[in-house]
Amino acid sequence: MSDGDRIVIAGAGVAGLRAAERLRELGFDGELVLIGDEPRRPYHRPSVSKQLITGAARPVDMTLKSYTELDARWRLGTRATHLDTTQHVVHLPGGEELWYDGLVVATGVVPRHLPGSPRHDPRVRVLRTAEDAAAVRRALAASNKAAVVIGGGLIGCEFAASMRQMGRDVTLVGHARAPLYRFGPRIAASVTELHRQHRAGLAMNTAVRHWISTKETFGLHLTNNQLVVASCVVLAIGSVPAVDWLRGSGLTLDDGVLCEPTLFATGAEDVVVAGDVARWPNLRFDDEPRRVEHWLNAVESGRAAAENLLAGRGQARPFTPLPRAWSSLYEVRLQTIGLPALAEDTVRLADGVTGFVRAGELVGACGWDRPKAMLYWTAELDRRLPAPATTPAPARWSGPEARPAVGTAP
Amino acid sequence: MTLHRIRGGPRLSVDNDRCERFGTCEWEAPGLFELGRDGRLRYRRRVSDEDAERAAAAARCCPMQAIVVRGVPG
Ligand SMILES: Cc1cc2nc3c(=O)[nH]c(=O)nc-3n(C[C@H](O)[C@H](O)[C@H](O)COP(=O)(O)OP(=O)(O)OC[C@H]3O[C@@H](n4cnc5c(N)ncnc54)[C@H](O)[C@@H]3O)c2cc1C
Ligand code: SF4
Repeated sequence: MSDGDRIVIAGAGVAGLRAAERLRELGFDGELVLIGDEPRRPYHRPSVSKQLITGAARPVDMTLKSYTELDARWRLGTRATHLDTTQHVVHLPGGEELWYDGLVVATGVVPRHLPGSPRHDPRVRVLRTAEDAAAVRRALAASNKAAVVIGGGLIGCEFAASMRQMGRDVTLVGHARAPLYRFGPRIAASVTELHRQHRAGLAMNTAVRHWISTKETFGLHLTNNQLVVASCVVLAIGSVPAVDWLRGSGLTLDDGVLCEPTLFATGAEDVVVAGDVARWPNLRFDDEPRRVEHWLNAVESGRAAAENLLAGRGQARPFTPLPRAWSSLYEVRLQTIGLPALAEDTVRLADGVTGFVRAGELVGACGWDRPKAMLYWTAELDRRLPAPATTPAPARWSGPEARPAVGTAP
Repeated sequence: MTLHRIRGGPRLSVDNDRCERFGTCEWEAPGLFELGRDGRLRYRRRVSDEDAERAAAAARCCPMQAIVVRGVPG
């Protein structure tokens, strides 16, 4: 390897950026290449359904800062098309091949499409990127009819709230009994009431039977026989891991990239995975691999993946975060900690705080506009679900001679 | 610039228009940030070099990207 060591980061989102930053903090002084298919540097994706939709901020305002000199080579607007783990090469368009000594996979997820929806109509959109937000704003500007969002999860609810903030009519269509139903009946009831207060329409327990598109508007005929008319329709029905480029790479693809507890991809010595695309067992909870699609997880897993890549697979430490997430809906701050999805039951922990229980054990909590109480419950969960004891602090990069994971076998 | 030279050290600020008082910063850096019972956020404006790393962690995690840290030692 005459050109020195090279670490490639595929996916220039927040996880990729935080991995790059951590590599430099730990003293990695080889070449760092970030490949991202979006045309811009990493930015604050959560604002796509909030400030970038309402126009309260522009994408440039949302660019993320690095707190260390990255000295990286940015390959933006470039898609990684294939990975070959035996040759240690990432393929780029035009036949270009990029070898690596270490690889960070951080390609995130892509929004799911709804079968039967006119997906090539410019008025039918998803929300993931700054460009998506701009496209929705264009569709909204072209007509003063209502907007419709399909999906009653966080992004669907945030979009509905953003529409009301802009003074636009909006209807949220969802197949669950209530929006945010997976956060338990208390949160679901509160968010239903909140949407009502702000006069956002809710069509729950239903789905689209068929689409009637005309030049000016859409008519959505729902299975409950309701007809809603829309200027634009946003699909917010979940997402799928962005792993197309990894088919045939030797990595295990099963709802994301399957990882060891340390974020090393199973079946590779020099590949770590971070962010929404990583499916790893968080030993704080159990040994079942799962993905976590939240901002703070992307920040923390990006840093942990970088530490472990430098430490090498043998010295790597399990990544055992206490997951934390937030959302803003209208004037309400919603926060979750732990893994509410594991729960069989919910309990009321305090005013506005729901606890999530599995086998008599608290595995998560969700706060309805209770940030101060959530600090208390974060500490409490951290105490009740301790991270298993770990090995020493992250190794500093000690140069090519040592070459733990980064570098081929001597 | 001159002020920075003379006083030195990392500095913290929070953009009030952005901050929604989630308190994530307090979890990342207790002692530097504190969400009061009244819901107001208090924070140190000047931090030691040792605390700069925790301040940067808070800035990375802030849901609103409202925290600005200047002068983090390289
Ligand atoms: C609209 C919206 C609102 C959200 N709001 C919140 C919130 O309020 N709170 C919260 O906790 N979380 C929120 N999230 C989730 C949070 O943004 C994600 O968890 C986080 O962005 C994940 O980071 P990542 O780096 O793993 O993936 P991403 O941020 O998706 O970055 C991955 C990058 O890789 C690129 N890429 C994909 N495939 C390739 C390829 N083959 N080659 C090159 N590049 C590729 C993608 O285009 C993307 O730029 C929200 C997400 C969305 C979409
Ligand atoms: S984490 Fe950010 S938004 Fe939350 S209180 Fe601190 S500065 Fe404000």
